[in-house]
Amino acid sequence: MVRFKNRWILVEFIPCTAPSPGRTPAAQAASGGIGGSDVETSSKQIWAALKQSVITHFGDTGWGAVGASLTVKYYSPRTNVCIIRVARDPYRIAWAGVTMLSTIDGQRYIPNVVHVSGTIKQAQLAAIQHNREVIARYRALAKTPAGYQDSYEEFLQTSAQEIEALQD
Amino acid sequence: MAPKRKSDDSTSPDPPTAREKKKQKTAMARTIPVQSVQAGSSGNSAAGPSKSVRFDSMQGLPTSIDVERFAEARSFEISAMEDAMKSAQSASTKRAWQELPRHLRRRAASHDVRRVPLRLREKARAEMDPQRKKALGRHVPKRGKHKQLPRTKQFLKRQLDKTWLETHIWHAKRMHMKNMWGYRLAVEPTEKSFRPSHRASVHGSILHDASYFALIELAGPEDILRTLLDSCSDYQGPSPGAKRFLTGARVCETHLYKHRSYPFDLIAPMAVIWRPVAQERTKPEAAHSEVSKSKKRRGKGKGKAKERERASGQAQPPRKVWIRVHPSVVHVTHQTLRVAASYALDAAKTADPSREVAEVDIVDLREHVNVFEIMGPKSSQVIKGALKPTNDNGDDFPKFWDSLSKLQSTGSLPRGMVVGFTVHDPRLSFPPKNAKLEGGLTSSPMTVFPSAKLAQSDIWDENVRNGLRKPKYKKKDIDERKSQNLVPGTPLQPTQKDNRVPVILIQRSVEGASPISPSSHHYASNSTALHGWTLIIPQGWAMAFLPSLIYTGTRTGGQRERQTQTYEGGCAYFPRDYPFTEAYEEYADEREIEEEDRWERRPPAKRVNYAKIGTRSPWKPDWEVVLGLREPPAQESEDPASELIPAQRADVEMESEETAPGTSTQPRKGKKEIRPWLLRGQDVPSILQSISSMINPSAGLLGCIDQLRIKRGQDPLGGNVRANELWQGALVRVRVLLCGRGNPEDLALLYRLDDEEARKWNEAEALRQQGVPAMLSEDTDEKELSKLVPSTDAIIGYVTTGHYSLSRGEGHAIGAVPVSCLIDLQQRDERLRTPNSLLVKIRDRGETICRAARLEVLS
Repeated sequence: MVRFKNRWILVEFIPCTAPSPGRTPAAQAASGGIGGSDVETSSKQIWAALKQSVITHFGDTGWGAVGASLTVKYYSPRTNVCIIRVARDPYRIAWAGVTMLSTIDGQRYIPNVVHVSGTIKQAQLAAIQHNREVIARYRALAKTPAGYQDSYEEFLQTSAQEIEALQD
Repeated sequence: MAPKRKSDDSTSPDPPTAREKKKQKTAMARTIPVQSVQAGSSGNSAAGPSKSVRFDSMQGLPTSIDVERFAEARSFEISAMEDAMKSAQSASTKRAWQELPRHLRRRAASHDVRRVPLRLREKARAEMDPQRKKALGRHVPKRGKHKQLPRTKQFLKRQLDKTWLETHIWHAKRMHMKNMWGYRLAVEPTEKSFRPSHRASVHGSILHDASYFALIELAGPEDILRTLLDSCSDYQGPSPGAKRFLTGARVCETHLYKHRSYPFDLIAPMAVIWRPVAQERTKPEAAHSEVSKSKKRRGKGKGKAKERERASGQAQPPRKVWIRVHPSVVHVTHQTLRVAASYALDAAKTADPSREVAEVDIVDLREHVNVFEIMGPKSSQVIKGALKPTNDNGDDFPKFWDSLSKLQSTGSLPRGMVVGFTVHDPRLSFPPKNAKLEGGLTSSPMTVFPSAKLAQSDIWDENVRNGLRKPKYKKKDIDERKSQNLVPGTPLQPTQKDNRVPVILIQRSVEGASPISPSSHHYASNSTALHGWTLIIPQGWAMAFLPSLIYTGTRTGGQRERQTQTYEGGCAYFPRDYPFTEAYEEYADEREIEEEDRWERRPPAKRVNYAKIGTRSPWKPDWEVVLGLREPPAQESEDPASELIPAQRADVEMESEETAPGTSTQPRKGKKEIRPWLLRGQDVPSILQSISSMINPSAGLLGCIDQLRIKRGQDPLGGNVRANELWQGALVRVRVLLCGRGNPEDLALLYRLDDEEARKWNEAEALRQQGVPAMLSEDTDEKELSKLVPSTDAIIGYVTTGHYSLSRGEGHAIGAVPVSCLIDLQQRDERLRTPNSLLVKIRDRGETICRAARLEVLS
């Protein structure tokens, strides 16, 4: 098919301002109050930083190839997960640019490219998968069984039902 | 969306164009929501209760907040991604109703938002064009509404020349309807459903409203009813008065013939159900006569006939029998039963003059019950889920009801098993759930056997049926009661006032041959057999039961689906596969007119020239010509290609002369007295086997028929019918199994093969099976053989039903050939030393290519 083809890069920017480098990155990401900065990084800043990185490492030619199609489609400051779109042909330049990025607006980050795919749907599925894996990893660390159920869940459900019934 | 548009409007004077709007909409649908840090952290850190409740002991530890926030952020992201995927797909590329499965789409949903489910209503409203709606002016009340006839009257006006079933309106919205047999019946669903319906009958469940079948009640002394039924039912197989049926525990599936004229004058298939004898309450004679009187008053036309004959003899317990027959033969059935009843009463009178007065009541119970046929392996679970039996059913019943959810298929039940019970109104527990199949693969064998006690049902009782004419509560009332339920969605508890509905459940199987019959060993009929239930409910309750039965995804079928089930099961379907019955003639004539009209409408250059390709009668099988009872119509154009044929024809005639002297020539002149008839029944394979080895098969056939007649106490045919007349009029139904390729259509022609050609076909087939390319030998090339033009004289039969069979994965057909031709084929096979092959050629009426096929006798 003759159409414009893209690559979708799913990146996790792991902030590394925390004093103890031994801690797992995801925990750092989560501990917003301790490790995270007060300044919220936005997708615009990521885009600017990425542009700088590409220009630095690939020069104007590199930016010329990538720049027309580069967009930051999604960035969540809570989980630091980002989806970046780039045209298919120069996507390695963009990928390298992401990998060699070290700071965004003065904040130090370790970029971790989780997935590269051809459609946004696959990137989204990969994000879901990634999140599940991270949670599962922590569960394993905390020795919580996989089939663990909150003891309050059932109680909450039944009481919600009862309250609803009483409202009529 | 709304605020954005407003701001646009405020900044720029021009309203956004449609293109801009659409762009904006897609952009909206494609953005993935992001959880902001401020909102999340502030909201979450202040979330006191969760902290104090769950992690009281760890209060103060910073990680406790982290875990929650962490997990929450991830879960938010997961749901955001999922939502984004869904909205990106649905918002831009699909209309609201497109998201619904096909069977939930409604035509009016294009302009009426209330015709889509609640969750899609908002979207549907946004998609609708408000200007257009205003122009249509739907909100303006219709003028002159008070002058309109009430709905019931309107509907009655439409039923002057036909009757509607109770489920008519439901069906008319979903099916193509057609006037048939005095009813307006569903033919096939409007949506594409040929394959899904077949799959449903094999793997799921499919329902057919068979309320149009006529029900006739006979009441009278047991011995008289037995002689009555014996004299007019099929003489092969067990009689309806046999012990196994007499208790009422099983249904007798048999065929109706005119009184004492077996094997001639086949009328139709019928099902005979005896009312189980109730020990505790035997109805007095008075009740019967009263019932029949009330019948007579309501009777319309000759259908509501009642026969009352008096004879003297000893008092027998009065019994009741229900007879279910096809609606096209109701009048003939009534006449036959009347004649049979008077003969039976006369016979009883002459046998024992001291006997008391006996009488037989014949009551027409058409439209007094509703019948649903639910086929498929899931039917038991559907029925168990939808119906809630009351507690006062018999002792055996709970055991049966428990075993119902262990049934993989009703094929493992005794054939024709009858179960009677009483259920609560199914609307009380409306959204039904299918019962779960218990036991897995190793289901325990059925422990409940059919018995008279199990078959007991109040639906036999006229008074009970009259009391249940209409459900006491309308759906509106039940919904009202439901809305008063404290917890919404819980089923209603049946109260004293609610109706209890007696029903009968009958095991129903569509299979080629019964497992015991001799024909089953060379045909794997059980692989294609279909099983299910017949549910009989009282009048007025069809629409109360139907929604519950189909709510869990049971499909509904019309005439086409019912016919296809029978075809796939390998059985003959009434009337299309029953030549020489009145209903068949009616059907064939109607079909001839319809197809000929269609053919006539096409320009001559664009339609098949049947005369040229040698199709003698393209729209209706000319059975009498095939049997040799009538001369074929004069042929204008004899094809020059068939020079071999005259010699072959002479040969065949010589043979038949040897076997049955005078068959081939004489009856063509004095043919008036020969009556064609259909040889059918479960003994057919064994009869044919025994007579094929005889020197004089026609006498053998007469002997067999006489034997059957004597078994039922009738005089042998010998007096009035000569052996060769019987022989020449006999037609037998066959299955046509294609040897190689081919897909026979309805009315395809069956040709006989002479020795030479049969040998070539056999060789060609052997080569094909070995995988040898056919080009090696000129003679036995299948392609060349299939191009040979057969003579019209070589036609030995027609296909009555034929198309691609979904359960077999190849073409398959049901047809009929004369018995004499079948015996000829067997003799040819013996000569060629290819036993049991019965090789013939088959050709579609509009094609020139012939295919080789084998015949198999259908019982």
